[in-house]
Amino acid sequence: MINLVLFFAILTGAIQSIRSKRLIHSAIWLAGVSAMLSIFFFKMGANQVAVIELSVGAGLVTVLFIFAIGVAGEEAITARPIIPRVLTLGLVTIFLVLLVWFIFPPSTTVSLTPEPSLSTVLWEERGLDVLAQIVLIFAGVLGLLGLLAEAKPPLDQPMAQEFIVKRQEGLAELVRESDQSAPGSHLPEEPERLGEHDSVKEVSYP
Amino acid sequence: MDLSSINIGILTIIGLLGIGFYGLLACRNLIKIVIALQILVKAALLGFVTAANISGKVNLGQSMAITVIVADTVVAVVGMALAIQVRRRMGTLDVKKLSNLRG
Amino acid sequence: MASYLIILTICLPWIGGLIVWWVGDKHPRTQHTLASVFAVLAGITSIGLTFYSSDEALIQISMGSIFGKFTLIPDGLGVFLAAIATVVGSLAVIFSINYMQDEEQLGRYYALILLFIGAMAGLGLSGSLLFMFFFWEITAFCSYALISFHNDDPKAVAGGIKALIVTQFGGIGLLAGALISYATLGSYQINDLLTRAQSLPSGVLALIAFGFLAAAIAKSAQVPLHTWLPDAMEAPTPVTALIHAATMVNAGVYLLARFYPAFEGVPGWKTSVVIVGMLSALLAAIMALVATDLKRVLAYSTISQLGYMVYAIGVGAVFASQFHLLSHAVFKALLFLSAGAVIHAVGTRNMYSMGGLSLKMPFVRTVFIIGSLALAGLPIANGFFSKELILEDGLLHGPTWAYWCMLIGAGITALYTARMISLVFYHQPAQLEPSHDAPTAMRVSLALLSTGTFTTWLLAGPFSQILNETLPLHELRHLQTFEMALEILKSPETWLALLVILIGISTWRFQGSFQAILRTLRPISNFAKEGLGFDWVNAQIVKGIQSAATAFRYTQTGILSWNVLGILGGLVILFIILAWGA
Repeated sequence: MINLVLFFAILTGAIQSIRSKRLIHSAIWLAGVSAMLSIFFFKMGANQVAVIELSVGAGLVTVLFIFAIGVAGEEAITARPIIPRVLTLGLVTIFLVLLVWFIFPPSTTVSLTPEPSLSTVLWEERGLDVLAQIVLIFAGVLGLLGLLAEAKPPLDQPMAQEFIVKRQEGLAELVRESDQSAPGSHLPEEPERLGEHDSVKEVSYP
Repeated sequence: MDLSSINIGILTIIGLLGIGFYGLLACRNLIKIVIALQILVKAALLGFVTAANISGKVNLGQSMAITVIVADTVVAVVGMALAIQVRRRMGTLDVKKLSNLRG
Repeated sequence: MASYLIILTICLPWIGGLIVWWVGDKHPRTQHTLASVFAVLAGITSIGLTFYSSDEALIQISMGSIFGKFTLIPDGLGVFLAAIATVVGSLAVIFSINYMQDEEQLGRYYALILLFIGAMAGLGLSGSLLFMFFFWEITAFCSYALISFHNDDPKAVAGGIKALIVTQFGGIGLLAGALISYATLGSYQINDLLTRAQSLPSGVLALIAFGFLAAAIAKSAQVPLHTWLPDAMEAPTPVTALIHAATMVNAGVYLLARFYPAFEGVPGWKTSVVIVGMLSALLAAIMALVATDLKRVLAYSTISQLGYMVYAIGVGAVFASQFHLLSHAVFKALLFLSAGAVIHAVGTRNMYSMGGLSLKMPFVRTVFIIGSLALAGLPIANGFFSKELILEDGLLHGPTWAYWCMLIGAGITALYTARMISLVFYHQPAQLEPSHDAPTAMRVSLALLSTGTFTTWLLAGPFSQILNETLPLHELRHLQTFEMALEILKSPETWLALLVILIGISTWRFQGSFQAILRTLRPISNFAKEGLGFDWVNAQIVKGIQSAATAFRYTQTGILSWNVLGILGGLVILFIILAWGA
């Protein structure tokens, strides 16, 4: 009985989420779907996932959506859908019928071996998954920072004048030294000059 | 057909899949499309937990579901960031106006 | 010992190609020398390999359970093809020293030629279908790259692309046959296919047989997939001599010869092969009779001679076809290279602009006439022995109507050969002055090839012995050379063929008396100049595909919803297929 209520609640929430005119309402309906789903998970025996889904789905993602909708602003798109509604509904119905035909009824095979606890499974057996998730989060954060960055304005201040003068003096000294040590030899090429420039710098800071 | 969790679970998965795909096909607002993607991912989550329930390996299913939640959250975050940037640069979130190809 | 020789034969040209390319275009003389050295070394190792031929897989590289083992077997057919490829290849490379003297980008040229030589040797020696396909595709790529070597000339580029596309049709046939054989037999090894061919269901075997036949037709430029060869004459002449006369086009004939024992029982296969060979021999000879471009005449002549080889396999004379392959490689390379010397000196390919060159270029005239003797099938030259052998076996084992067509084809061959010699060397007055006779490096190649023209028929005996020992499934008799020569000289079919050839030559000499007949045949000759309608069919196919592609552009809308519809639609179709299967 509870299952049936949950079933209708989840589906109603999802349909309303797609159908509502205002984006904020869609986000709230999505939170509702998350909550119902978490109760369903709990009923199926997946306690930890239920808790995580509730906090992440109904909490984190919903807050994120509301923030993004607030920044991006509501946009009322009143035009008709691009694909004719008949085609969409028809294709989706065929898809659902095929799925039902394939999956229903499920086979019930229950394994009898006792399972290790969740932490053992998570960290030892699927340790690579956890590692991948960490990398994914890291990449997501970097991507987010990159995406939301503002375009930097060009530098409006040139290099400090005293720094330019110091560099020119160092180069002139270098040319004089090389002429004294090997008369008639040509100037060293660009990369070597930079290396020797560093050593000259060390000498000038006692 | 009895109303056990497993059967209801499978029906819910199928229903959510249908709604999610319909949302992908019919919506013109970019943020609504991200919401439709979220619904599809919730269907996948439910699929993992139902399969765990059927086979009896609840903890294995839970660890996979946790992985999916993490990945799906990252997708939602990046999708939202993209939507914000699109709104800033192009000025609109309408999918039809955003396409540049002329066939 | 033999395994080292095999590795050297394939890898020496490849290493040489890399080194020549690495040396860079600033040192052309080094490039010329290095290329020739590597090519000659490869030739020597492959000739050495002929003494060690055996029928076991000497080199086996395991590529995992999916691709099976890549094997290299030095049996008679393979060693023979490798030897031809490397020896004629080295002569063509030596010829290029003078022909490509003032060209740029020699590194690319020599690297591609050497890559091709190595791949051709590998194709012959390969014992696994997938390995053979790998080398097949490398030769196709090298052929395309060398045809469009002068890539600032749009005609050359168009010719190269046409060659690539048409031969790739054949490649599909080869790959399909290989995959079907793997699916039903579980192995890619050629010997497995040959020994267990009779155990396959007849429909499957027919699919493989006709797939390989399609591959051979495309690669050996037989009717109806022959249109790429005349347009491939935009390539530099040594490339034409090597790839489109002596080696790559032989790959198709080699394929048919190799798999003959597996497919001879397939109903209709042998007849199709005979028909394809006969049509190519006749139609190409007719087209050669009216062409004005010197290299085009030789290209059509190649198609025609390959038709003889294919016809020979169709009637079951595998040895005769391979023997003619050997003779044809030598004399056709000779003809192409001497034509190259003429074109290099005169500057044009149009035969009607040449004439009277006999006094100015005596050396080239002599070698050209030697090559033509072999092409027409006159005695002493090697073409005589091999062509007579084919005609004799054709009469004994094949349908009689095919024999009469091939005989007429031999007559037309003699006719266009006489026409070619007369127009280039003797027809007076001379319109264009040649700048020089053939320079030294060219003369070396040409002289070696002409000696070969007179002597390769002597190899018939040892060749048939090697084939007999290493190819048990082909059931070839062992013939001593002189035994075979006497047999040919004594049979009446030979005299009949010689009579037809002499009629052909004299028809040209005395064409004044035939003017009335020639006038009635003029519409046919105009039609033949258009390529007998085959080029028109090609152009229509290309136009059709382009218009279909333009129509498909409307599916690329760039709108997200339509793309998702496509994804979902594909998924639904997949499910429907699965549901149907269940």
